[in-house]
Amino acid sequence: MQAFVRSAIVAVALAVATSAPAAEFKGGVLAPPKAAPNVALDTQDGKSFELTRERGKVVALWFGYTFCPDVCPTTLAELSQARTQLGPDGKRFRIVFVTVDPERDTPARLREYVKAFGGSFTALTGSPEQLAQARKAYGVVAEKRVVAGTAASYLIDHSAFVYVIDPGGQLRLMFPFGMSIPDMVHDIKLLLQR
Amino acid sequence: MRSPRSILAVSLLLAGSAFVAIASAQSSTIKVSDPWARRAAAMSHGDMSKGSMDKGSMDKGGMGKMGGGGTGAVYATISNSGAEADALVAASSDAAQTVELHEVINEGGVMKMRPVPKIAVPAGGKIEMKPGGYHVMLLGLKRDLKPGEKVAVTLKFERGGNVPVEAAVR
Repeated sequence: MQAFVRSAIVAVALAVATSAPAAEFKGGVLAPPKAAPNVALDTQDGKSFELTRERGKVVALWFGYTFCPDVCPTTLAELSQARTQLGPDGKRFRIVFVTVDPERDTPARLREYVKAFGGSFTALTGSPEQLAQARKAYGVVAEKRVVAGTAASYLIDHSAFVYVIDPGGQLRLMFPFGMSIPDMVHDIKLLLQR
Repeated sequence: MRSPRSILAVSLLLAGSAFVAIASAQSSTIKVSDPWARRAAAMSHGDMSKGSMDKGSMDKGGMGKMGGGGTGAVYATISNSGAEADALVAASSDAAQTVELHEVINEGGVMKMRPVPKIAVPAGGKIEMKPGGYHVMLLGLKRDLKPGEKVAVTLKFERGGNVPVEAAVR
């Protein structure tokens, strides 16, 4: 496991154990926060995306792949529901999906994927090197596996945290898989208020 | 004109099929409740436009493997009122080219999805298939799964036989 993820987990454990001020958040708190590494990739429509241009919004960054039927669409659906529940504040909450599977996730495929979710998020891709760099910056693990007993040519083991960036561009929180939608809404609202 | 006898025969046939429909909604011991599926796109573009077979994997595995296509997952709660343990051993659906049983293992925040040969349902117990745990995986979706629609899936149990369900797409 990457040191970054490990330290984040320790931060979560500490927040829970000591009821430090950070415990007002429901998600895992990165203490101290750090400037979110920039993500410069292409959207499903071929437009350039730069995380640094998203100041003023809370950004939820998720690394996954469209072939994944379970963890990825579940997380994207929950983030989308959180966005809806934010009401007018939802305009200041951006959900960004970064593919860990550029081989299968062509822009055309990403466009269909985004469409299936009603356009509630932006999907990003790039060269394998660019994507590897983005994963490294966030401590994301993604390992391709050829697995026996499935018709899928390969599966990808990948980190399942949502990285949450505040309106000032600081990486503040990590949402673990399975975090409830009300808890997500709670944390996003707190970040938007500051 | 139908004779009264043929009308009777048709009625019996209808009654018979109604009985089959009721009986097949659950086996004598297996009950499947709240089946649902996650919305998903059939993904006709991308890899599927080049065909669903991945040549590299075919060479390695000796059989056709799927490079692309849309995927989906079906979830449900399965309870077993019988005195014997049972297991979900297979599933099928007309909505997909291939249907498999999978589990997702969370190892320190890294999610690993793997096929499983069966999902045990203990005697007098129940298991919940849910995101991040077990699911019935649909590979090579033939159509989009849109919220509000239903997708028909047949679950096959070791002892309980076939149990058809209609999973609501969410």
